[in-house]
Amino acid sequence: MNVVPQLVNGVALGAGYALLAVGWTVLLSAARLVNFAHGQLYMLGAFVTWFAISSLGVPYLAAIPIAVVVVAVIGLVMQLLMTRLVLQQNIVSLMLVTLAFGYLIEGGAASIFGGNPEIIDSPFRGHNLTLGSARFTEQDVLILVAALVMYAGTFLVLTRTKVGRVVRGVAEDPKLAQLYGINAAKVYVGVFVFAAASAALAGAVIAPRSPILTSIGFQEVIITFLVVVLGGIGSIIGSLVVGLGLGIFVALFGAFASPAYSTAAAFAVLLVVLVLRPEGFKTR
Amino acid sequence: MTVIDADTRDQPMPPGRRPGALSRSSAAMRWLRAPLWLVLLVVGYLLPTLLGGSNRIFSTFVLIAIYAVMTYGLDLVLSYLGEVSLGHTLFWAAGGYVTALVAVKLGWGPGLALVASLVVTTALAFVLGVATIRTREFVFSLVTYGAAFIGLTIAANSALLGGSDGLVGIPVLTLPALGGEYAARTNADLWPVAFALLVLVIILIGRFRRSRLGATALMTQMNPDLAITLGVDIRRVRVLVFALSAPVTALAGWLYAYQRSYISPDLFSPFFLLFMLTAVILPGRRLLLGPLVGSAILTTQSELFSFGGNGDKMFLGGLLAVVLLLSPDGLVGVWRWIVRAIRGRRARGTGLGGRAGGATTSGADGGTGSSVPQGATASRQAGAGSGSTGAAAGGGKPRRGPGVGERVAGSMGVRRR
Repeated sequence: MNVVPQLVNGVALGAGYALLAVGWTVLLSAARLVNFAHGQLYMLGAFVTWFAISSLGVPYLAAIPIAVVVVAVIGLVMQLLMTRLVLQQNIVSLMLVTLAFGYLIEGGAASIFGGNPEIIDSPFRGHNLTLGSARFTEQDVLILVAALVMYAGTFLVLTRTKVGRVVRGVAEDPKLAQLYGINAAKVYVGVFVFAAASAALAGAVIAPRSPILTSIGFQEVIITFLVVVLGGIGSIIGSLVVGLGLGIFVALFGAFASPAYSTAAAFAVLLVVLVLRPEGFKTR
Repeated sequence: MTVIDADTRDQPMPPGRRPGALSRSSAAMRWLRAPLWLVLLVVGYLLPTLLGGSNRIFSTFVLIAIYAVMTYGLDLVLSYLGEVSLGHTLFWAAGGYVTALVAVKLGWGPGLALVASLVVTTALAFVLGVATIRTREFVFSLVTYGAAFIGLTIAANSALLGGSDGLVGIPVLTLPALGGEYAARTNADLWPVAFALLVLVIILIGRFRRSRLGATALMTQMNPDLAITLGVDIRRVRVLVFALSAPVTALAGWLYAYQRSYISPDLFSPFFLLFMLTAVILPGRRLLLGPLVGSAILTTQSELFSFGGNGDKMFLGGLLAVVLLLSPDGLVGVWRWIVRAIRGRRARGTGLGGRAGGATTSGADGGTGSSVPQGATASRQAGAGSGSTGAAAGGGKPRRGPGVGERVAGSMGVRRR
């Protein structure tokens, strides 16, 4: 079997993983918050895109911003409800509350969108491209472009702009930042909404690859965990590298060992890493 | 770690070792306690019969007992260790799967199946506990959540475990009894077994609360610095409690396998995870009968007053979110708030002399009002403490973080650049 097609497939898969995890990474590194409903927000992004295309007749590229805005608003509502826990930086309660919200969203989505598998009709799905012996679709290219743009944009905003300085200031020391007149609560809201919107973008862009169900959130959030923890918890570059690496690993493992157990194998890698190096791959 | 529970009555301390100042139960109360438990036991056992004794009632009660046992496993970790395990569905499903596997494929009896599932889940929990020994808080939760997902992948894909169809044809639960065998063919037949299992588990939890391990676990949660100073091996305590919690949950899986007579990957569904978390948090953490009350409320709703599959999901998720956002202490927190409010009003109403009345009122108001900030302080302190613990776990010796940010970061397992 040829390795090159699997490598190309792995890059597309990994770009998707990285795109899915970018919001979580920023949430952790910039706000030290967690969101266990991330997978359900991804699912919601995918379903709103599907709904806009199939029921409202909106073209795919216009459906993406609709999904992003809808999910961002839901993220905003979640964050406003959790304000007290967020300001306490009460990670355990936040974890449980977002887990509960995720289940609520899953139930709500299932009652609105139904329990059948649906396919997002993206015009890029059908167009095959070839690169040597490897074949991929335009959708795969779109995923890779979206991931790279999101990572480059996030990195530049956080390191080069005034907004980024404020966010990093709050991440560094929320109390001191407040002494300097920065409203930490606003920064937390902004970061959380960004994370929700990025999950929706991931859903809208990645989900056309395969049929979607309202129960996929449970699975998607596991990938996010893997990427974020292996990437060094909150390291943006780390998440991009680990996301791509994980995609290639899953593609190769799926092709040469067993596709059903590829996530399990990736998780086994995580366990080994945790035993050997609890901080993840990131070295200082 | 947040345990906002200022009430010392519920803390696992033996009467003998209890410092006198904290003891509020009088001798009369202690005399009353044994008969009260006995009445509770008898009424609890007869309750399904008193409620009509239909199969629907019995199946609901059997499920309450099974789900309560399942929840008690998570309760050990969540209430006493203060860690959030999202992987207890793995132990629940493993208990059921091992039972089904040995009963269907090897023809083992319930006793051997019980031993097998307890051994397997304890080993599983031990491995997972050791692997996560240096992770704390949410990384621990992530890994346990991931472990449950991997369990699901394996169960749904392995031919040995029946794939997505699961394992069917688990024989009827038969136990050796006086003059032959006791075969539990119906839910009414299963009820004595389920009830006995529940009572045994509650006794076990009660003993744990009074045990040295229970007290140490609570101390590592409340004040890790103190625990380290007193020479407690925090990592050992965490692994031990985690490894103890898994077989408790597996017990429930064992009985569930016989109750349903088939086992499928739906045992890994997030429903059971949300159920366990809500059943502990809804009544209030660290109450001996809390998980039972929580399971009874949730099971009664889903079995007898269901809103349909999606509606139940929204109800369960919404309920957990509302409790955590409005009253993190659960129903007990609401109850205390009401009691304090009434006491405050009564003191004001009778006006025991301007000064005294005023003092009582302000004291009561302070109590109610301060429950939130108190919690905040407690969590912050705990966060700071666990931060240095994280450092201790990472670096071998306790270090002092330079600032709040550092300590919070440490408590989350986040390393700084």
